[in-house]
Amino acid sequence: MTWVTWRQYRYQGALAAALFAALTVVLLITGLHVAQLWHSALARCATDGSCANLAGTGLSLQSPVLTTLIVGTSAVALLPGLFWGAPMVAHELETGTNQFAWTQSITRRRWLAVRTGWLLLAAAVLAGAVSALVTWATGPDSALYADAFQINRFDVTDIVPVGYAVFAMALGICAGTLLRRTLPAVAVTLAGFVGIRVLTAQWLRPHYMTPVTGYYKLTRLYAPKGSYLSVSQGIVGPDGKPPVAGLGGYVFNGGPIPTVCAKAIQNPAPCMAAHGYRAFLTYQPASRFWAFQGIETAIFVILAAILLGFTFWVLLRRDA
Amino acid sequence: MTATIRTSGLTKRYRRVTALSECTISVPEGRISALVGPNGAGKTTLLRLLAGLAAPTAGQATVLGGTPRQDPAYLAGIGYLAQDIPLYRRLTARDHIGIGAHLNPRWDSESVRARLGGLKIPLDRPLATLSGGQRAQVALTLTLAKRPRLLLLDEPLAALDPLARRSFLATLAEAAVQEDGAAGGDLTIVLSSHLLTDIGRVCDHLILLASSRVQLCGDIETVLAQHRILTGPRKDTTAIARMHAIVREDTTARQTTLLLRLGSPVIDPAWAIAEPSLEEIVLGYMSQDNPAYGTGHQAARLSAVGEDR
Repeated sequence: MTWVTWRQYRYQGALAAALFAALTVVLLITGLHVAQLWHSALARCATDGSCANLAGTGLSLQSPVLTTLIVGTSAVALLPGLFWGAPMVAHELETGTNQFAWTQSITRRRWLAVRTGWLLLAAAVLAGAVSALVTWATGPDSALYADAFQINRFDVTDIVPVGYAVFAMALGICAGTLLRRTLPAVAVTLAGFVGIRVLTAQWLRPHYMTPVTGYYKLTRLYAPKGSYLSVSQGIVGPDGKPPVAGLGGYVFNGGPIPTVCAKAIQNPAPCMAAHGYRAFLTYQPASRFWAFQGIETAIFVILAAILLGFTFWVLLRRDA
Repeated sequence: MTATIRTSGLTKRYRRVTALSECTISVPEGRISALVGPNGAGKTTLLRLLAGLAAPTAGQATVLGGTPRQDPAYLAGIGYLAQDIPLYRRLTARDHIGIGAHLNPRWDSESVRARLGGLKIPLDRPLATLSGGQRAQVALTLTLAKRPRLLLLDEPLAALDPLARRSFLATLAEAAVQEDGAAGGDLTIVLSSHLLTDIGRVCDHLILLASSRVQLCGDIETVLAQHRILTGPRKDTTAIARMHAIVREDTTARQTTLLLRLGSPVIDPAWAIAEPSLEEIVLGYMSQDNPAYGTGHQAARLSAVGEDR
């Protein structure tokens, strides 16, 4: 069955390998250039002791091409699910070849298990390899701007892309099995994948763990150490509640300016600080980066397992 | 003689449609059986149930001593060729030979190469580039390479021109002879088709389905011997209906023509008696679809033909 799977997917496999090789070349060239810039900058700042303020020196480790390419790699997790997963069962049903495949001396369960297994592995390996490459190429930039936890960086580095790829493959196979048509299955896979990814990134991810809240004076800038994931921020008054009644139309840091500071509308910060107002930032600290990578990967792998379990249940009970 | 296929009350219902109803048949080992009937009569459904691709709603089937199911040992005994001859169009015949070799225990790659070589069918071109006749030959050859004990062919002749049809049937007839004893028993073949003359050439057994029910099942010789066409002046047929089953009655202003299944050897000498062809019998039963000619009750009674052997 492994040989049969390889025979049917070898052209797609070769195409994927070629695209991966091309991406590797581009990322290697740009990544090596960035690494060189980064290390020479580190060497320079070490001599004059300005390394703490490296981000403020105008050092640029990005190029439009690189940025676009890195964001574009978020599609790598989806494409195998679209082009291999959705047609896996649907195309066989459309062309009737399932009747050939399922009347050889092999059970449908084994046919499905071997094929699903190899496609999941291929998607995971591809996503993992691209992610490793991206993680390496964006390493200096993530270190300089401490943005490893940001959307568009978190989502394309380390282990979460593997979880996304496994999920997309399972979603494609499941949609193809239920809809029996390749094109609708591709559409559902695309919409479902994008929908779930946006939902988790925007609404679920900030709440995987109870966030930490930091309070700080209004008169000075504050940022947690390292790369953090911001959940919410704002101003609270001496009673611990955000200012309510304010001067109509005037806003400071997203909140109304309290009436006591009516005379300092141009620069209300010192006045508000004097009256006990403080700024707060609720966030997930940098130390939780790997926990969050693990939690999000687990969520997508579990979703994939549910989808695949359902696919097996349907396909083994339904008439061919 | 043992029966390769024996079903009782086999029924398949889809949401609202009954595709096959109370199908009770038996096909002895070594027969080449023609499965005939109008479109939508349940031929494909019956073959799919026997191949283990679909599960029956009610009733049982015993095929090669087992129940059709998802099981390598069962599937190894079955050669199934679906309607429209589905194969992987982008793969070559050689790829298909490889697939078969990896998925079947008794696979015979050599015979495929020899047979396709003999037919001058290229092994290393994608099947999409072959003609329909060539594809059908590839599909049949692959099905035979599995060395099954039962071959289920769903309308394999439909898409073929007369020449390709003849060559296909020749391959089939050759296989029926050659495969004797290959896997411990004669090869049994069930072949559905609309082409009655072609079938008459190779088949020795008949299963006739109409309106999702079995109308006839038995050896063709027996079926022929049990039917007569009576022609005579127009008159009342109740006397004859008491002794024989009237399959079909055609009446013109002056003349009555009857297709009978004989109940006793005695026939009123006032009638002119003729032996019907297989085609005439099959068409006679098929037209029972028309309620003017028969009822479900009559059809059920007639299905016993050949069962008593």
